[in-house]
Amino acid sequence: MTKVDMTIEICGMSGDGTIAAGQLLNTALIQAGLYLIAFDSYPAEIRGFGRCVTHSRVGDEEMLALNSKAHVLISLDDEQSLSRLPFLDDEAVILFDNRPLSYVSSEKTLPAHIEPEMHPYGIPFGDLASEAMGSRRGRNMVALGGFSGIFGLPPGYFHNAIRKKFGSKDDKTVQDNIRCFDAGIQYALDHFKGLPVNGLAAQREVAPNDRLLVSGNEAVAKGALAGGLKFYYGYPITPATPVMEFLSRALPEVGGAMMQMEDEMASIGGVLGSFFAGRRAMTATSGPGFALMTELIAHATITETPAVIVNAQRGGPGTGLPTKTEQSDLGAAVFGGPGDSARIVLAPANVSECYYFTARSFQIAEKYQSPVILLTDFFLHNRVESIPEPKAKAAEVADGNLYPGPTDKDPYRRYKITDSGISPRAIPGMEGYIFRATGLEHTENGIPDYTPGLHMNMSEKRHRKIQGALQDLPEPVRFFKEEKLDIGVVAWGSTFGSALEAVKKARKEGIPADVLKISSIYPYHANHIKEFMDICGEVLIPELNLEGQLANLIGHLHRKCVWRLNQVTGVPMPASDILARIRSILGS
Amino acid sequence: MKTPGKSLAGKITAIAESRKFSIRSGSLPTWCPGCGYFGIHQGINDAIQQTGIAHHRVVVVSGVGCAGRYPFFVNAYGFHSAHGRALPVATGVKTANPELTVFAVGGDGDGIGIGGGHLPHVARKDININYILFDNSIYGLTKGQPSPSSPIGLKTKASPGGNDAAPLNATLMALAYGASFVARLYAGDPRAIATAVLEGIKHPGFSFFHVYTSCVTFDKQNKTWDHLRERTHSLPRDYDASDQKNAMNLVLDDDYAMGIIYKKKGNRPEDQSDHPF
Repeated sequence: MTKVDMTIEICGMSGDGTIAAGQLLNTALIQAGLYLIAFDSYPAEIRGFGRCVTHSRVGDEEMLALNSKAHVLISLDDEQSLSRLPFLDDEAVILFDNRPLSYVSSEKTLPAHIEPEMHPYGIPFGDLASEAMGSRRGRNMVALGGFSGIFGLPPGYFHNAIRKKFGSKDDKTVQDNIRCFDAGIQYALDHFKGLPVNGLAAQREVAPNDRLLVSGNEAVAKGALAGGLKFYYGYPITPATPVMEFLSRALPEVGGAMMQMEDEMASIGGVLGSFFAGRRAMTATSGPGFALMTELIAHATITETPAVIVNAQRGGPGTGLPTKTEQSDLGAAVFGGPGDSARIVLAPANVSECYYFTARSFQIAEKYQSPVILLTDFFLHNRVESIPEPKAKAAEVADGNLYPGPTDKDPYRRYKITDSGISPRAIPGMEGYIFRATGLEHTENGIPDYTPGLHMNMSEKRHRKIQGALQDLPEPVRFFKEEKLDIGVVAWGSTFGSALEAVKKARKEGIPADVLKISSIYPYHANHIKEFMDICGEVLIPELNLEGQLANLIGHLHRKCVWRLNQVTGVPMPASDILARIRSILGS
Repeated sequence: MKTPGKSLAGKITAIAESRKFSIRSGSLPTWCPGCGYFGIHQGINDAIQQTGIAHHRVVVVSGVGCAGRYPFFVNAYGFHSAHGRALPVATGVKTANPELTVFAVGGDGDGIGIGGGHLPHVARKDININYILFDNSIYGLTKGQPSPSSPIGLKTKASPGGNDAAPLNATLMALAYGASFVARLYAGDPRAIATAVLEGIKHPGFSFFHVYTSCVTFDKQNKTWDHLRERTHSLPRDYDASDQKNAMNLVLDDDYAMGIIYKKKGNRPEDQSDHPF
């Protein structure tokens, strides 16, 4: 049985139904019991002259990262797809419309450019769609039908996917799409010999499938609900908006609500107000919105008010690259804001972690009376993965507050200096514990005070508290067991998957390598990280930012300079680039 | 024969026992002697006392400035937030626990300068917050610069040639934003403040109180006590506060008519949707 590891791209112009076709393809593929990771790229403009590409990688085992080479290209617009040719496998299968509209000049069609080793399959997408539903709009479905026929995937998988996607509209839409799909599959079976090629499903045993197709956006939103979220305050921003949209439907069902605010300062203000009043709340944003939140996040560190903030990073600075991925807000998340404003920063590395970290962050925010920033990114939010249904444990989402008791009264010291740095926090409505939270430095009683020594003591208390949170934060994880390594890759966030894949490949080449996943960016597990670095000859930190923001934060833990791999190309870091860097560092 | 000392002690005991001032916190106000904020403080305190609401069910959220210190002087839960952010934080508090009585307070710089973008949205969402704008038309805590409501020509250290921007009219703004309860008040009349705030607390939506007050330390030329006392006056006897157009006309014509300027008709609990906000 051959191992499946196949990458399929669909490329078209915005408006061609590229993204919709990609979604259907993914839904169909996981029914075949395959593991999947998928990610779309699209322009910031809704209907401009932009290229849309969906990218789906499927295989027999968990897919850690995207592949930089695609094995199949489904072209819905040849002119756009030409740009994808350099990213195709040498023997790629290409599906294209062999009867394009008459105004498309022949040199702009794919057949004029396809390499001889590749396998072109021409199908009249547009014409077949016109026959099947009376409109060329169904071309994307015809293309999927062609794919299904060529690779021997049961049409039922796609029919189910179509019903699932369009079922809520009307029966005609479903039937039109199915007719187009069937026309495509029939054409492939009638016209091509030797099908199925390189079978995806037919030649393999279909494993029982307990996995769901979940996007990072959905995982964050569902994780928040599992974490007891009641109120969401937000402002639309790519790529975090789907979280807000999802929760606007889901929160009323649990007695909560989503409130769209006038700006991100108001969003974080609402979150602080809610937590102050004892209810769980959160907001999700991206770099430009996060910049505006910096003020109240720093304020929350001194008032010791819990908050949960998702920063779905995109290309920056400024408005940056709204629809491209990057990991360049680490510095802003950890250090953003005036003063010594230590806060908790977590970085999920995949869709499952988007769920579990979000769910967990509410209790952590309450327990440590601190903002918890979830540092996700565009790639994490917009990717879909096939994952087992996530389910948060009750103990991890239980109330994390330390409330004052009768012995804390008269006077109640809201900011009592303790060994842990945690002081009992009263909630408005509790009798006998009136206090004021203030952004001014304050006494244990919460009264503004700037006497010498006080600020030092209070700053130390807050620092102690945040460092103490390490016990509850996810520890760094390594994956292999050697006691000596030529090279260790330290990775965080969405780049981790590529790092692990690169390390697995390096090991196959005989390189003693391992990867350390850092989930808790701040505070960080210095001892764990140092222990790992100590057994590494070399340390490499690959990141999607130019200045090596994690490397700058933790690089000092290694006895010599850490190696860096920094890319700001707007796309996820290819595992092949990390592997190449590993080889070049070791001089092999 | 009672000595004056004994009689005073008796009075103090009687006042303490009446708990009339229990709404005051143990912290003495940090405002300058003669500050208009004392009058506002008195007015709000009276209103809270009259409602009989338990003090631990009251939350006062403030921004930054002289008025930002207000929560420290009230015996209630307080959140001294960042400059301009009192309204969003108050929105979060009220949303999270609608059973709390929520006040937001701040000065003119805080409310219609740095935080000016929040007022329209709290008004249009009609969130049940009582927002008291302490408008002395100057930045006091930073020692006297022109504020968004300073008159043209005001000379300060930061405007030696005279302020050259026109003043904002917060009452008119609130009316234009659709606030469902708008009052304009004078810090020298704490009783009127108490009456209006009491009405506002009962009003089941956003209540806006624009309070004219003076900064005795940094403004000797514009909103002085004399200036305000001479000009402020009550609303016309037959004034209809339920008519928004009428209210806007009044405010456009008369900068100094004080009282409940507008109260939306039908803004009663039974008219509210069951939306949790």
